[in-house]
Amino acid sequence: MKNNFKLVARALFIAIILIQTTVPGLGYLPIGPLSLTIIPVTVIIASITLGTTDGMLIGGIWGLITFIRAFFWPTSPLAQYVFINPLVSVLPRILIGLVAGITYKWTSKTNHQKIWLSIIGAVGSLTNTVLLLGMVYVFYNGYAHELYQIDTKALLPYLLTVFSTNGLLEALIAVVLTPLIAVPLIKFTSK
Amino acid sequence: MNKLLLGRYIPGNSIVHRMDPASKILLSIFFVFIIFFANNLVTYGLMTLLALVSVVASRTSLRFFIRGIRPLLWVIIFTVIIQILFDNTGHQLFKFYFLTVTDNGLKTAGFIFIRFLLIIFFSTVLTLTTDPLAIASGIEKLLMPLKKIKFPVYTMSLMISISLRFVPTLMDETETIIKAQSSRGVKFKEGNILARSKKMIPILIPLFISSFKHAEGLGRAMEARGYKDGDNRSQYHVYKASKIDFCTWAVFIISGILIFVLRG
Repeated sequence: MKNNFKLVARALFIAIILIQTTVPGLGYLPIGPLSLTIIPVTVIIASITLGTTDGMLIGGIWGLITFIRAFFWPTSPLAQYVFINPLVSVLPRILIGLVAGITYKWTSKTNHQKIWLSIIGAVGSLTNTVLLLGMVYVFYNGYAHELYQIDTKALLPYLLTVFSTNGLLEALIAVVLTPLIAVPLIKFTSK
Repeated sequence: MNKLLLGRYIPGNSIVHRMDPASKILLSIFFVFIIFFANNLVTYGLMTLLALVSVVASRTSLRFFIRGIRPLLWVIIFTVIIQILFDNTGHQLFKFYFLTVTDNGLKTAGFIFIRFLLIIFFSTVLTLTTDPLAIASGIEKLLMPLKKIKFPVYTMSLMISISLRFVPTLMDETETIIKAQSSRGVKFKEGNILARSKKMIPILIPLFISSFKHAEGLGRAMEARGYKDGDNRSQYHVYKASKIDFCTWAVFIISGILIFVLRG
């Protein structure tokens, strides 16, 4: 029972990720000119309720979808250049699951569960942003000209801008959403 | 809910419908691979011909292909405009302050535009003619070599099938939740970032809870029918590569070689 339940639960999380990546409004909050993703929250929830390995799997699937979409249906002009590198598109997403899972394991027995869940949300979301932009910097530093026709020196400020707008706001969303969603789900799954 | 790319399968009995899903997936990858090597009129013409023949052979209405382009329209336009404005090689056509448009820039932009269209058309042929479950079985077939390194191919493919099966169910449920919340007066498109992210909570919690309930039910049902993880599973539909697959592959490989010969 336990094994089959986990197998189907994993599959359903993959289904949720599939829906969130394709239906606008469920995976992305369009706010002004920005499009903020809440998919890291799903990955973090998977890590918390199913376990670290499963969180990594769900994150990896999200990365794979991004990777495949970069070839067939790119979501932004930049995606078709950077996400075709799996180290940019897949690896950071796997690590969201790992980081969130490990932090949850350390802190699940402590008293201030809600606060810790917020911190896990922030850490998980920031893992994604920092690693993704870091990878873009490492791999495309010399190629910035081809990327956005901006010169090499401009890539770092550009990435920092993305970080301070998208990255910090996404982390903020994760801080708010993670405890509010995780607490009832933890109660539900531990029944 | 036909906005989803995966759910757009249209049943039929064309040549493309009858092909092995695994070989269709591989062909799409191969198509995307060779189109990046095309770089002049002749090679792009050849790729266009390949894509159009595939579209015609799939015997589906062109309407669906046009519809497939729509969500990507602004990405395509943006990419093309960037290319036109910032590719400053070749002959200068006109200059407007710091913006220069050159003939090379226009040419590359045109090619990028065609490449976008062709890739979308070709991948749409795949999703229109292949049932999501057939895609899952195709993925299983392609992952088979990984079995040698103890990768759980069968479990993975079962998981993909289950998730594809539940995508429409979960979407229907989400739609019901959204409608229920809107009828209570929740306005999803208003408010600042915090207010809007908080509005996601009454959608996401029921979605997760219902997923866990589905998992419980289906897990129990699988248990009752004696499903054991990791055993060799048989399938209801068995897809085999036929003459059509071999002929199509022959055409595509010859085209691939021609692309390398004819590219400038």
